[in-house]
Amino acid sequence: MIEQSTSLNGAAAEPILVAEQLHKAYGPRAALRNLSFTLQPGHILGFLGPNGAGKTTAIRILTTILEPTSGQFYVGGISSDHPREIRRKIGVLPESLGFAKQMTAIECLTFFGQMYGRSKADAKSYGMELLKAVGLEKRAKSLIGSYSRGMRQRLGIARSLVNDPVVVFFDEPTLGLDPRGQQELLSLVQWVARERNVGVVLCSHDLPEIEEVCDDVVILRNGRIIAQGTVGEVIERGQHNVVRVQVAEQSVATARQVIQALPNVVKVTPITATGDWLLIELASSGEFTKNMEKEVKAQILNTLVRADIAVLSFESEGGRLQDVFFQLTEEEAE
Amino acid sequence: MNDTTLPSAKQTEMLSKRAASSGSTVPTWWVVFGREMADLWLGGKALVLILIYCILVGVISYVLASNSELDLMPANEMVFLTLQTALSVGLLMAIIIGADSLSGERERATLEALLLTPTSRVQIVLGKYLAAISPWPVTMLITVPYLRVLAGGDVVFGPAVFWGVLMGILLSAAFTAFGMLTSIWSSSNRTSLGISLVVYLLCALPVQFPGTAQTGVMGRWLKTVNPLESVDHFLEKILVNNRTVAEMQNFLWSPIIFAAIVLLLLFVYAAPRLRLDGGVPFNWRFGKQSQALALMLALGAGMWGSSAALAAPMTGERHQEILAPPLEITIDTTHAMVKTGDKVFFETTVTNQDSAESVPLILAMNIINLDSEGDVVDPEDWSPERTQYLESLGAGESAKQEWELSTILAGDYMVYLVLIPAPGAAEISSQPLTSPGIHVTVERFVSANPGGILPYAIGGPVVVLAAMAGVYWFRRRGVDMGDENDDM
Repeated sequence: MIEQSTSLNGAAAEPILVAEQLHKAYGPRAALRNLSFTLQPGHILGFLGPNGAGKTTAIRILTTILEPTSGQFYVGGISSDHPREIRRKIGVLPESLGFAKQMTAIECLTFFGQMYGRSKADAKSYGMELLKAVGLEKRAKSLIGSYSRGMRQRLGIARSLVNDPVVVFFDEPTLGLDPRGQQELLSLVQWVARERNVGVVLCSHDLPEIEEVCDDVVILRNGRIIAQGTVGEVIERGQHNVVRVQVAEQSVATARQVIQALPNVVKVTPITATGDWLLIELASSGEFTKNMEKEVKAQILNTLVRADIAVLSFESEGGRLQDVFFQLTEEEAE
Repeated sequence: MNDTTLPSAKQTEMLSKRAASSGSTVPTWWVVFGREMADLWLGGKALVLILIYCILVGVISYVLASNSELDLMPANEMVFLTLQTALSVGLLMAIIIGADSLSGERERATLEALLLTPTSRVQIVLGKYLAAISPWPVTMLITVPYLRVLAGGDVVFGPAVFWGVLMGILLSAAFTAFGMLTSIWSSSNRTSLGISLVVYLLCALPVQFPGTAQTGVMGRWLKTVNPLESVDHFLEKILVNNRTVAEMQNFLWSPIIFAAIVLLLLFVYAAPRLRLDGGVPFNWRFGKQSQALALMLALGAGMWGSSAALAAPMTGERHQEILAPPLEITIDTTHAMVKTGDKVFFETTVTNQDSAESVPLILAMNIINLDSEGDVVDPEDWSPERTQYLESLGAGESAKQEWELSTILAGDYMVYLVLIPAPGAAEISSQPLTSPGIHVTVERFVSANPGGILPYAIGGPVVVLAAMAGVYWFRRRGVDMGDENDDM
């Protein structure tokens, strides 16, 4: 369970989002089972899971679009029994993001600002500032129909902030964007959390993206949480007796041969299509201690250097979030 | 945005401060209404529908006025038919806009953002509803000049506008609400439009049935329960047949009850339960089937009722006693050469040549086309009064009658009268007496601007087109068109 953390000014912060035993069933089928977690202001919580894991159901419950079958959640201390009050406190960038294409960006933000109770003038000037913040001020008066996907996503982020929310849900915000667009969006997501001290729930299939920007992570499968904690904690639970090495492509065969010959190395296998990455499985018996693991890793490096093989990358720190995700979801499937 | 440049600390601080200041007294249904109106009228959807209507009503008015020029159709009937067109098209617009209002947003993925605001579902539906009924006042506004010209000074103009506005509001309120109900409960736009249009057609089709089909038991029942037929019948009787509201008030119940039911269903039941995914909040499958079955049964029963009326047996017997009193009928005119649209007036004289008082007499006018390949004549169209009933004539007494004939079609015609002694009992017949004929030769006359309607028929669509161009220009002026897909 993610507990209290320290806020930006160093003081212990109360969780801004608390989910308690959320359960959703459609007839006999449970889509979500006993989901519980907390989120601190200024933190980014990654929501992970394979398709059908219950992420969308969870997000729809937390954004009051769906009612849970049982359980409760609180946003800024407001109970889910008051959905309209909750909606005043949250911002959402849905996965299927639609805009009225005949509207301009500023008309759109003015409209939504008014829907949250702002006067028209206030909604318009605040909308303009939000457009500046997301880099769309020059296209404020353009029809949304003429926007690219990246621009619409940025406009979606601006729209999610019109009510100055304390928690924002971003559902697949980088889907369909080019790498540069993805990076820009992730920077904006981080800005929302860090600078505005907003709790962010980030739903994504892109695991490196989650690993890069999230503080905490919840992994779901079949509607249940199978792992949660800080990103570091969750990765820690992954496989540690694995080393990845990237070598020059022409040296792959030699590298496999010399590493395989080392004691405590169980298996060496190529892991990408080109075969220049090697996955080295180390022994995992009870006597194989952390110190021994470090020693073996050093031996691998030394051996490769002595064999005059160019080492392009060496990942000696256990798994990545991606590995943990696959490992956990596969274990569950079994 | 250049690279990954983020808002400055100053900007962030400013945003946070601004976020604290707010406070609007405008209810959110008004905000939704404003957006919907802009979408409908500035976005062009309603304007295009109005333009189509404008062209349609222009053509229909011109055709009706052309007939009026020939006196084929009286002014009040033309006014009624134009009003009927306005109602049909106005309701079609209302139901299309209503049916698209929520399922359309669902399909365009814009509904979720709306549902995520703290506004109540009822306010969202109310704002959309008020915008969806806005085409009717505009439709009526466009129709009024046509009604005025077609009325041509007839007193029917005032009641036509009054009842047209009132009935239009009632029906468009009801059908828009019905369209929105299907829209709330449908997950796809196609479904809500399909259901709404089928129901609208089921309501509208009986109006087009032949008169005999409408006078059967079920036909009359349908006329009473079908809100569209009820209003149609009510307007026809009030505007064309000079019936009073008190006489026809029973036909107002159906549209009032229908409107009350769908409005209650929309705002009390469906709107608070508006969901992102659509679908009905109850077991609809059985309900839908049974409703369709009920509609089909009602339709079938209506057909049966009317066909039963059509199949009424015709009986007759040959009688021996035939009444043939000595009577004479003369006409003051032998021939007339006129052009289409002209009127022919003539007098007849009936004389009782008997020494005793005659029985009551019936005098009927008939018109025959002398050209075997000419148009068939419907005498009802040619004369408002074709039959006159005379009291008994004393011995040697005469009576004069005045007749009026409106020449509808060009051609060669024979007009004559038939004098029928009233038989007096069921088992007695009588010998009709024929008058000399009037040979009427009618030449064709065509006006390019019948009834002065042409400026309206052409001007209406032109004005709407100009309004569309104005709206487009106004919109373009306030919008930076930019480069498409300029990702900056």
